[in-house]
Amino acid sequence: MTAALELDAVKKSFGGVTAVNGVSLRLEPGRIYGLIGPNGSGKTTLFNCITGVERRDAGRIFFQGERIDGLKPWQIAVKGVGRTFQVTRVFPELSALENLLVVTRGDRAAAERRGRELLAFVKLEQLAGEYAGNLSYGQQKLVEFVRVLMRDPSLVLLDEPAAGVNRTLLNDLLEAVRRLRDEGRTVLLVEHDMKVVMGLCEVVFVLDHGDKIAEGPPGIIQADERVIEAYFGR
Amino acid sequence: MNVVITPAMIAQVVISGLLSGTLYAMVALGLALIFGVMRVINIAHGPMLMLGAYVTFFLYSAFGVNPYLTLPASMAVLFVLGMLLERTLVFRVVDAPELSSLLLTFGISIALVNLAQLAFTSDLRAVEFLTGSFVIGPVAVSKPRIVAFAFAAIITAAAFLFLRNTKLGKAIRATSQSRDVAMVCGINVGRIHLITFGFAAALAAAGGTLIAVIVAIQPEMGQIWTFKSFLVIVLGGAGNYPGALVGGMLLGLIEQLASLFLTTQLSEAVAYVLLVLVLLIRPTGILGGRST
Amino acid sequence: MSPARLFQGGLVVVAAALAVYPFFGTGYGVRALLQLFMWIALAGSWNLISGLTGYVSFGHVAFFGAGAYTAAILITNAGWSWPLACAAAGVAACGLALLIGYPCLRLKGPYFAIAMLGLNEVLRALVSYFEGLTGGGSGLSLPTLQASVPIYYVMGLCAAAVTALTYVIITSRFGLRLMTIREDEVAAEAMGIDTARHKLYAFLLSAVGPGIVGGLAARDQGYIEPISVFPLATTITMIVMVLFGGKGTVWGPVLGAVILFVSQEVVWARFPYVHQLLFGAIIVAVVLLMPRGVLGILQIKYRLPRTV
Ligand SMILES: Nc1ncnc2c1ncn2[C@@H]1O[C@H](COP(=O)(O)OP(=O)(O)OP(=O)(O)O)[C@@H](O)[C@H]1O
Ligand SMILES: [Mg+2]
Repeated sequence: MTAALELDAVKKSFGGVTAVNGVSLRLEPGRIYGLIGPNGSGKTTLFNCITGVERRDAGRIFFQGERIDGLKPWQIAVKGVGRTFQVTRVFPELSALENLLVVTRGDRAAAERRGRELLAFVKLEQLAGEYAGNLSYGQQKLVEFVRVLMRDPSLVLLDEPAAGVNRTLLNDLLEAVRRLRDEGRTVLLVEHDMKVVMGLCEVVFVLDHGDKIAEGPPGIIQADERVIEAYFGR
Repeated sequence: MNVVITPAMIAQVVISGLLSGTLYAMVALGLALIFGVMRVINIAHGPMLMLGAYVTFFLYSAFGVNPYLTLPASMAVLFVLGMLLERTLVFRVVDAPELSSLLLTFGISIALVNLAQLAFTSDLRAVEFLTGSFVIGPVAVSKPRIVAFAFAAIITAAAFLFLRNTKLGKAIRATSQSRDVAMVCGINVGRIHLITFGFAAALAAAGGTLIAVIVAIQPEMGQIWTFKSFLVIVLGGAGNYPGALVGGMLLGLIEQLASLFLTTQLSEAVAYVLLVLVLLIRPTGILGGRST
Repeated sequence: MSPARLFQGGLVVVAAALAVYPFFGTGYGVRALLQLFMWIALAGSWNLISGLTGYVSFGHVAFFGAGAYTAAILITNAGWSWPLACAAAGVAACGLALLIGYPCLRLKGPYFAIAMLGLNEVLRALVSYFEGLTGGGSGLSLPTLQASVPIYYVMGLCAAAVTALTYVIITSRFGLRLMTIREDEVAAEAMGIDTARHKLYAFLLSAVGPGIVGGLAARDQGYIEPISVFPLATTITMIVMVLFGGKGTVWGPVLGAVILFVSQEVVWARFPYVHQLLFGAIIVAVVLLMPRGVLGILQIKYRLPRTV
């Protein structure tokens, strides 16, 4: 079976800082993966390389067997890679609903229906007409999350989706992520909250200073010496 | 067109180019500082130069002061005026989108020009002080240009020494590298902005005084200097202050070289096409380089 | 009657009054309204690129000037009729926009603004240089023709067309996508929006109006020269009109153009010596006190749609 996503020795540095140092990994379709690591270990940079927001320095990236490094970010998104940002990037002076509409084409009424459905799904239907910039941080995260779904992506990259989302909505969010998997999509998520990672992910990759230092089921990863060392130092 | 290039012409181009390039560098350093430290594109930079020229003209015609001795006066007047403008208006658009700073400084710019028209009328004024040329072999350079070069070189060198070695200069550079870090280091960023703007205005004023002896003075003489300074900092890199030197020399040489083959208008067009090309080839702009 | 209905009714009345005005009005009135239409078209066009995508076209008058010279040259040298020449001016401006927009729209923030400013200067210099065709610095005189009234109608149509186009764009998802570029270009790209193409389309659309209007202005004035059709001040005036009315809205440019043009006419008549000073003060005041413009403030305060 072709991998949903495959990275081959992807490298990225900023000036003297090597943010991602030759990372290789493989995601099988229809599963939830975690990406963890201490602050500054290169998780967000890796997301940026995959989605084309940053140009990788070396290495290859395949999406469903097709090479995507070198494509423009929008081309990668159109192919079916959706992402959220660690610090939310909604369009502040567009309403919540408009934030979702921008990615649609064709039948507008149908698009609006789908947009409202998705907003209802994260319990924001009342705020559909509100400027996204006026929503709370957690609400913005949810808008960003459902905005990704408007394109019906087959690979979803979530950068700390749970941070800032309140307790009651958190469970809905986790449930939503599982549902994405059940619909056959692949999910890769960055998360600092180990409970969330344990509860969701089947396989976890660990980054430290740009290197992939471990990979495996979350239970085993947690006991891995190198991982403990990376988190707690020597 | 049939132009025969002789070594003498090349020597003339290089010498004239470097002479005017130094002047460009000094004036553009001011614009570069404002852009680097405050992220403001100051369209009023040229009109401040124009005011410097009028200070010199006024002191020369009213009191017969040697125009070169008016340098401290014109720089001081503009230093104060610059700080005044910063404190009342410009500080409000630091960090605002570029549209705000462009428009605000354009507004200041036309207001300054209009004020100069009211005060001095639109008549062409001249400070006829030094005339004639030095002739060295086949190369001839007018005396005021050489004197202007000498003063510009000294002032520019002093400005760089100030930026490099004094506490205040270091604070200015630190602020242009990262305002946050500067603040953490206990630098009063508002004060740095104030001083930078005044300092930049003084550099423009020095340019005004020096060219007052060379060209005719009139209220609209400044605008072209705003554009030239843009060219310099794009060619050399703003925020990257030594780049202003490189850019100034480049512009001086390009202008002189182009004047061999082309009319003034076309050499101007060449300079702007170059500006756009440089911007495009270094998409962040050479201005993006922020090493100091 | 609902406010929307009332507004539409008012619009029809105003349009009808403007349509019959030349039959009753003075020559001065026709000329003044003609210029007002021109400013509405110019401000509305600038709004299309800069109000929506946030890319500050700081040399937008370049399209006006290019249109003016295209039409003037076609009329004087090739003997074209002015309506045809003005249509060609729109096409020429659009071609120019394609030529410079393709590379320059990759530049961000202040760099795009400076590049546009530079390009305007390039054009001005080139026009001065090619004397044979353009008359150089001494300008170009068109054959005399009394056509103020037909030009009045065409200019009015241009203003209406630009405003209608703005309405269509702002209410479409294409318009929303243009706004995402203004709001957050990186996120827009990551959402699968081809920002480069969208910016270019907006830029092309924003160049047509000034091109045609430039041709009309050249025909109306009968004489053009480089400094009269490429001044930075014209770009600034368009921008201030849009800012004053409210950028990114349908009626903001119209409102801004009307208010500023009328006050400018009054000021011009009364205080010629301090005109620039007053204009400078207005710019500073608009930037500092109401960067969102009249309609922008209302929009936020009362949650009005962008189409108001
Ligand atoms: N645009 C950039 N320019 C310079 N350095 C960068 C840039 N982006 C990231 N870095 C550096 O790359 C390294 C990795 O950063 P990255 O944001 O990918 O880490 P992260 O794992 O996402 O951290 P966090 O958990 O804090 O989100 C850091 O040292 C960071 O300073
Ligand atoms: Mg991160």
